[in-house]
Amino acid sequence: MTVLAHGVGSRTDLPIPIGFALYGAGAAILASFAVLLLFWRTPHLGGADSGRPLPAAFQRLLDGSAVRRGLQAGALLVAAFVVAAALAGPDDTSRNLAPWVLYVTFWVGLVPVSLLLGPVWRVVNPLRLLHRLLRPLSPDAPGAARLPSLGLWPAAGALTVFVWLELVYPDRSEPVTVAVFLLGYAVVQLALAQWFGEDWFASGDGFEAYSTLIARLSPWGRRSDGRLVLRNPLANALATPSQPGLAALVMVLLGSTAFDGLTRTVWWQTGPGAANDWFSGTVGLLLSIALVAGLYVLGTRLSGRLAGQDVRIQPARYAATVIPIALGYTVAHYFSLLMLDGQTTWILLSNPFGADGVDLFGTYGNRVDLTAVSADLTALVQVGAIITGHVVGVVLAHERALRSARRARASDQLPLVLVMVVFTLGGLGLLFGF
Amino acid sequence: MIRRPARLSRALAAPALALLLPLAACAGTDASGEAAGTTSGSSAPSGASATPDAPQESAPPEEAGQRIEVSVAGGQVSGDTGRVPVTAGTQVTLVITGDAADEVHVHGYDLTADLVPGTPAELSFAATIPGVFEVELHEAGTALLTLQVN
Repeated sequence: MTVLAHGVGSRTDLPIPIGFALYGAGAAILASFAVLLLFWRTPHLGGADSGRPLPAAFQRLLDGSAVRRGLQAGALLVAAFVVAAALAGPDDTSRNLAPWVLYVTFWVGLVPVSLLLGPVWRVVNPLRLLHRLLRPLSPDAPGAARLPSLGLWPAAGALTVFVWLELVYPDRSEPVTVAVFLLGYAVVQLALAQWFGEDWFASGDGFEAYSTLIARLSPWGRRSDGRLVLRNPLANALATPSQPGLAALVMVLLGSTAFDGLTRTVWWQTGPGAANDWFSGTVGLLLSIALVAGLYVLGTRLSGRLAGQDVRIQPARYAATVIPIALGYTVAHYFSLLMLDGQTTWILLSNPFGADGVDLFGTYGNRVDLTAVSADLTALVQVGAIITGHVVGVVLAHERALRSARRARASDQLPLVLVMVVFTLGGLGLLFGF
Repeated sequence: MIRRPARLSRALAAPALALLLPLAACAGTDASGEAAGTTSGSSAPSGASATPDAPQESAPPEEAGQRIEVSVAGGQVSGDTGRVPVTAGTQVTLVITGDAADEVHVHGYDLTADLVPGTPAELSFAATIPGVFEVELHEAGTALLTLQVN
């Protein structure tokens, strides 16, 4: 329907001022070399066993099945309500709750929530509850043994489908689309979980994998003995278990967010994306992911070659170090959407089915205040997020290199750090609009 | 000037809102139309006034105003199309001429005007909300132009 919107939305951000872009770029490059040359020369961060354990009673409560089933039942009710609103509510996107809940409140809101509270979607995932109910139908999960070798590849696939829906599919903002997607997603996920067992959701549910990935930068971790701990988010990120497909998942996030930024540039709108159809969008999205992934593989392999290590394991080894960069991109691109257009959810919640005279919370008559966050603050958050993500990424990569070889030379890390600089300059360039 | 502190406090409250999203049932209470109502011009048609029937009276352009004209023929847009920069606070007059009945929609400002074939439709408003906003034809889905208010 609209050229500019990601999923839904009435506006997009102004290009960041050139000064911001240049300062940001300079800071990123400077920080990279400072980390390589001046910072610590021995591993510094805690490992997978670090952290301050939480009280055992608290962990028992949190891990207890009563709490989890309860939260999952709550989430299931909310999801059913959103599907009902999508199908029975107003046809007009601007008056229907469902698209705003899916594309803004849930998809974007999952990021700050996971960053603060940890892997929340794993705990409240309503599909896990439905799976428990369906499990007795075929209890033997014939594919369970194959699941570890698939790793996070299925989740990367599931997220690619979702970002395609969000960024490319022309009717993405129609309420019916949202209902069909949610129902279809649940059916496919539940069917695959029957085959692969309950562990499927950690591997193949894109939203759960996304939340868990972001939570890697939260202070909430789990020690290797299963104990819940509070620890340095950087140590938490480096303790990310190495799984097949982890790098792919991060690349899908980074590439799709880059594509989102690309579609807002005048260059795209008047050039390759001028047709604004699903074909140019699909090609653009896939190429963006491929470009980002290609650069990443190149950087990690070159670094591995310089360090004299097996180049094949390098992309997987450094995957966790790119999570902060992907997160920085995400915050930069979605902050204003959540703050401004995100208000729509709370307005429409007062009358989800568009009935006459219904105003449950007295918000239905409100209008979205598009000046709630100033353009300056938005630009500041955008540049700040990209630079913070970059610095954390470089620090993690440095630490990772020191762990894999105690006497790692700083120059060995140069190719990967240069690729990170390219990601960051590219991200700033997209915000600036080229 | 009176608006400043309110906007600042709301900007500060915004991050808190993100944390409390599930609890916060209320959203911004300010109508964006109200913000658009703070016109700088004196004799301007006050605020966000859509003129659905596109009067023939050749609206005299504001001295500090900006007139943006586009026409649509056979799905092709010509005139001030593409990305149109506007300085925040400017009184903007959008003039759209089409060859089919439709509805013009300015996103964000959420202004609409009916488009009658062959008759120019006019939308006049103060561009007080910064950002990038699309102007499109609702029925046909044609993007007319993009307002960049900064």
